[in-house]
Amino acid sequence: MTGTGSTVQPRGLARRLLAANAWLVYGFFYAPILVLIALSFNENRLVGVWRGFTLDWYAQMAANTAVLRAVRSSLIVAAASTVVATVLGTAAALSLERFRFRGRRAFDALLYLPVIVPDVTMAVMLLLFFVRVADAMFVVSGAQVRLGLTTITLSHVAFNISFVAIVVRARLAGMDPTLEEAAADLYAGRWQTFRRVTLPQMTPGVLGGALLALTLSLDDVVITSFVSGPGSTTLPVYVFGLVRRGVTPLINAVSTAMLVASMALVLASVLLQRRRGPA
Amino acid sequence: MAVCVSSTCDRDWNDQPALRKQIRPAMSATAVDLSDVSKRFDDVNAVDHVDLAIRDGEFFSLLGPSGCGKTTTLRMIAGLEFPTEGRISIFGDEMGLRPPNMRPVNTVFQSYALFPHMTVSDNVAFGLQMRRLDRREIRRRVGDALELVQLTGRERRRPNQLSGGQQQRVALARALVNEPKVLLLDEPLGALDLKLRQAMQLELKDLQTRVGITFVYVTHDQEEALTMSDRIGVMDAGRLLQVGVPEEIYERPTSPMVAEFIGDTNLLPATVKADGQIELVGGQIVGADITASPGAEIMVTLRPERLHIVDADGSFPDGHNAIDGTVARRVYLGNAVTYGILAGNVTLRVRVRNAPGQRQFDVGRRVQVHWAGDAAVLVERG
Repeated sequence: MTGTGSTVQPRGLARRLLAANAWLVYGFFYAPILVLIALSFNENRLVGVWRGFTLDWYAQMAANTAVLRAVRSSLIVAAASTVVATVLGTAAALSLERFRFRGRRAFDALLYLPVIVPDVTMAVMLLLFFVRVADAMFVVSGAQVRLGLTTITLSHVAFNISFVAIVVRARLAGMDPTLEEAAADLYAGRWQTFRRVTLPQMTPGVLGGALLALTLSLDDVVITSFVSGPGSTTLPVYVFGLVRRGVTPLINAVSTAMLVASMALVLASVLLQRRRGPA
Repeated sequence: MAVCVSSTCDRDWNDQPALRKQIRPAMSATAVDLSDVSKRFDDVNAVDHVDLAIRDGEFFSLLGPSGCGKTTTLRMIAGLEFPTEGRISIFGDEMGLRPPNMRPVNTVFQSYALFPHMTVSDNVAFGLQMRRLDRREIRRRVGDALELVQLTGRERRRPNQLSGGQQQRVALARALVNEPKVLLLDEPLGALDLKLRQAMQLELKDLQTRVGITFVYVTHDQEEALTMSDRIGVMDAGRLLQVGVPEEIYERPTSPMVAEFIGDTNLLPATVKADGQIELVGGQIVGADITASPGAEIMVTLRPERLHIVDADGSFPDGHNAIDGTVARRVYLGNAVTYGILAGNVTLRVRVRNAPGQRQFDVGRRVQVHWAGDAAVLVERG
């Protein structure tokens, strides 16, 4: 065997087949992305036919107030829902991992529901819920509750709590519970134990959960389009609307910008974690 | 790692007044007092009515098989568990439901429980920081503690960059730096390999003598307990069976469990006859150094190294007891040979030193096993 270490290296035909498979999978992943990016620089209005290089579509995008408004809405919703969902999801994960209480199992099972329920179902039930609440609010206080950024944010919080809780729980489950006992043994009170030992230990999980929440919020089309009102369109919903009116390279330019932004986000979080050193 | 034996160690020691052994009156005060302490988990009696007084400055070991309640007892002293019944006092102070951070004890955990996101010196400083000591005082004491466990120069390392033995010593420094009144150790050497463990045993004992802090040490390793302890408490199934100095525990066990758990032994069921003689179940009459009331059902414990073998027609000293038997098994151990001698319906294990001129025996040979009268110890049948 020519392999290093203790891993068994596949040989001959098996090795070549595995390599081919890897190339196919990566091609399947990245070829569409490359096509998308390339065509965003296409001079032709018809997306599929290459005519020459231009930055016009990016200029158009930057000048398009509808796009910019949608970007702004997306960022507000994503930031707000990520913060709220991360705090609540982390709290839920802590209570499920660290405490025994009545109804813990039921709570545990119910927490996974938003992950399992199809987006459309979730969207319909949230819409009905908001309409009912709006009616009730109007009857009780006369206040008008309209669909808009607030309802979108609340909806994103609703499904993101589950994802954050799952990620944070996985981290907590792998943490040695005697660390907290050791902190208590070394004169730390409950709050000090949490701040100095538990929180730093689960930070990678919390960051991972927050990143997931942010991505899911920026991505969501189905739920958002149900609970959004006039003037509160997020970027993915806007792009979806554009596509229905015919695909232009403007869409490619917008998508490429989104791609670059989300890659920058992931890169930043990786760098952040690396600087903190291995946990 | 060097076991501290030279005079340089003493000089190092004198440079550390904060940790220097206090001159104290003869060991008399009680450091930890357990009074009728029980702990139930659901239906299991993890600790069952334990009474125990651990003296100030002693190295006390709680010894027993896994699940015997020794770790639970230690955790109750630390405040990580609370007794279902009974009281625990530390230097006369009743602990009640006082949480661990309010108790004058520190613990060295079995898994070390070092904080992985902190450096070695941050780990050691943690307890002092929580007690809000002056920054310079903390730095000085952390330095002293790391010097004490010979880890100077490793301050900025993370726990995962250290070997098991080094992690163990960080855990020790992290506890000792707080100058606890009692140090609790939960099988701290369990994860180390044999050579390192033996070196650490001597080092720990040496350290304890120097700092003069009461050590409560939990272990399932009887050799470890015998090596280090001033006194040993043997536990089984939640009950404290016997407390005594190592010699007492080994030479005069009061129950079959203790006899069997500490070292190797032959346990033979017997009865006390009307004339005070002791009759083994096989019908053999033997002598022993303790008398028991007639009719009592007892056990006789015979340590393999106290038994001797001679030929079937050989002679042995007056006053020795003897049983006829056949060599059924012979195991060569290098420094000794152990025999299984079939005598009636029991097999006696006999350990014979492998010394020049020492006669050895082949399997199948008819022999006599003999022992001095005081080699056999009676214990109550458990």
